[in-house]
Formats: sequence, C-alpha cells, structure tokens
Amino acid sequence: MTDELRERLARLDPMPPGVPTEPMTTESSRQLLEEIMSTQVAERTNRKWLPAAAALVLVAGFAAALALNGGGSQPLVLTAPGEDITGICMQFSVEELAKAPLAFEGVAESVDGETIELDVTKWYKGGDADTVVLQAPSGMEALIGGIPFEEGESYLITAYDGQVNYCGFSGPATAELRAAFDEAFGG
Amino acid sequence: MQSDRQARFEALAAEVFEPLQRYLLRRMNPDDAADAFSETLMVIWRRLEDVPSHNPLPWCYGVARKVASNHRRGRKRHLQLVERLQREPVTPPQEESADPELEDALATLPDSDRELIRLWAWEGLEPRDIATVTGLTVNAATLRLSRARKKLAEKLTRQDPDPSGQEWVGRTKEQPI
Repeated sequence: MTDELRERLARLDPMPPGVPTEPMTTESSRQLLEEIMSTQVAERTNRKWLPAAAALVLVAGFAAALALNGGGSQPLVLTAPGEDITGICMQFSVEELAKAPLAFEGVAESVDGETIELDVTKWYKGGDADTVVLQAPSGMEALIGGIPFEEGESYLITAYDGQVNYCGFSGPATAELRAAFDEAFGG
Repeated sequence: MQSDRQARFEALAAEVFEPLQRYLLRRMNPDDAADAFSETLMVIWRRLEDVPSHNPLPWCYGVARKVASNHRRGRKRHLQLVERLQREPVTPPQEESADPELEDALATLPDSDRELIRLWAWEGLEPRDIATVTGLTVNAATLRLSRARKKLAEKLTRQDPDPSGQEWVGRTKEQPI
C-alpha cells in the first residue's frame, strides 16, 4: 500500500524528472552564481551589537506550543507564566542569538490587554505559523520584558528553551537588530 | 581566480541546482520560484560553513522551505491587500488533475502533513532526511509521516468517486507550503 501510494503521488508531481530545469551552465545561471559569490560574507566573530541591557530586564518564561511546530495555518500560542522572572542578562552577541531555537519577525496586528497577536512576516528559525499570540503575564498589559508592543509595529522575537529572551535578543525591529538576526540565522 | 570558498560553493551548487529548482517549482509559481531559488542560493552561500559536507541536499531543502514559506507569507499579505482594494476575491485558475481523488484527499490534509507527504513522494526523502528539512527529530518525522500517510489512505478509502462525473470542489492549483 505504501509503495502504491507513493507511486500514485509521484504521478501528481508537477516537476517529475523528465521536466527540464535551468542548467547550471547557462549564461543566466552563471550570472546568478557569480553575483552571489561576489557578495561579501560577514565573518562570524565576537561582534557586540548592543550593550547588555542595563537595569531591570525581564526574562519572561514562555511555555507550551514551542515544541508543537504546528502547520502554517495554526497560530502558535506562547504563554507567559503568571509571575515575573527577573534575571541577569547575558552579553549580547550574534553567536548567542544564533543559538535560539525559535526566531521570527512579526507585526503586532492587535494589542488587546495582555494578549498580543503578531502576524509573522518572516520565520528565521524553528516554526512556520502565520500568527503568534503572546500572552503577557497578568498585570503586564502589552509589556513583556520591557518591550512596549504597539499595533502596526514590527518586532523581532527569539525564544530559548521555552523562554523568550529579551536581553537585547528580542525587541522592536530596528535595522541593527534585523542585521543581527540576518547574520545569526542566515536571513 | 576562485577562492576555496567559491570552489566549495560551486561544487555544492552543482549538486543542488536542479533538485532545489524542482522543490520550489513544485510549490510555487515560476516567478516566485525563481526569486526563491536565488534567495535560497544566497543563504547557502552565506551559511556555507554550516552546510553538512555529507548529504547536503536535505539541509538545502530546509533553507528553500523556509525561503518559500516566507515568500508565501508575503504573497498572502499582498493578495489580501489586493482583495481589499478590489473588493472581489481572486480565484486561482483550476486545472484538470491526473488523479482528482488523490489530489482532493491531499488538499484536505493539514499543511504540515501535506508537506511531509510531498517530501516523501516527490523529493523521495526518507524520515531521516525529512527530519533535516523540517527541523523535526527523526522519531517525530517518522511518526508524523506514518500518521500522515495513514490519514491520506483513510481519506482515499472513504472517498467514493462521484458517479455523476461532477468536478471535485475545493482544489486549488497552488497549495500552501
């Protein structure tokens, strides 16, 4: 049955082996490869993008859903624990950022009390949901880890070991933070 | 003169150039696929040091999957805007299918299951490589692929061919990734 199903599915393949693709040797292919190879690649050294966050920085623990890796149409719901967790920030570096198993950019579509709905514009790593819902801790309306969420604004978010890290590793999508995300996760 | 890095990229490109085009053309229209292909190669170039030296294709499929997914997201937003402006839904053209029952059953699966099935049947990948593409563990990929196949088989068993010969509904040419 398995082989039969596979064969039947293969007949629906819109690009079976007989359909030609663009060879690597054509002029346009060569041009594309040359353009790509002429692009400078940033060295992965100990660059410091942002100073370690000073003063109070919250590390809000997000549980659930991270491991579900659901389909694109299912919103990814991230919930925060009821109590706030304060922590000492790790020095920001692209290397540390790159270790985050979940990273995305999203626009705050709605900020309603303690619920923030982000419309994902780009997954850098670890998921494919179109929407991510952030549930702020009780009493922390639209403010998670010191980030004020505003409708229509874009945010870059990472989560690590089930916890979203805000020590410069998540925040409003500034050009600087986006460049760090691009470098850490390969755009 | 080529650097070592360029030589390595050229060798890798020779290996993945064709399968990556197929992967993207199976899931996107040709214009979007061409953009996504360039972008995928660019990511591979930038992350060349991360590409596994043994069996690099599944890792590269993983990059293409992410790039395509981001394209789809951008496209969806664009279409939503166009629809809002036009106040009319955009209906994709329908094409005759070689196997409408199977296509219909496939279309009813969740996106994530459908992608596992396609990776298995079209890219010809086994669970270990599917795990690399999707970021799942090998165990999870094995289990989810098996479940997805079972679901698909059940849907096919349940489906009775329409004796009136009417068109199956709910199929679209371009399925989300």
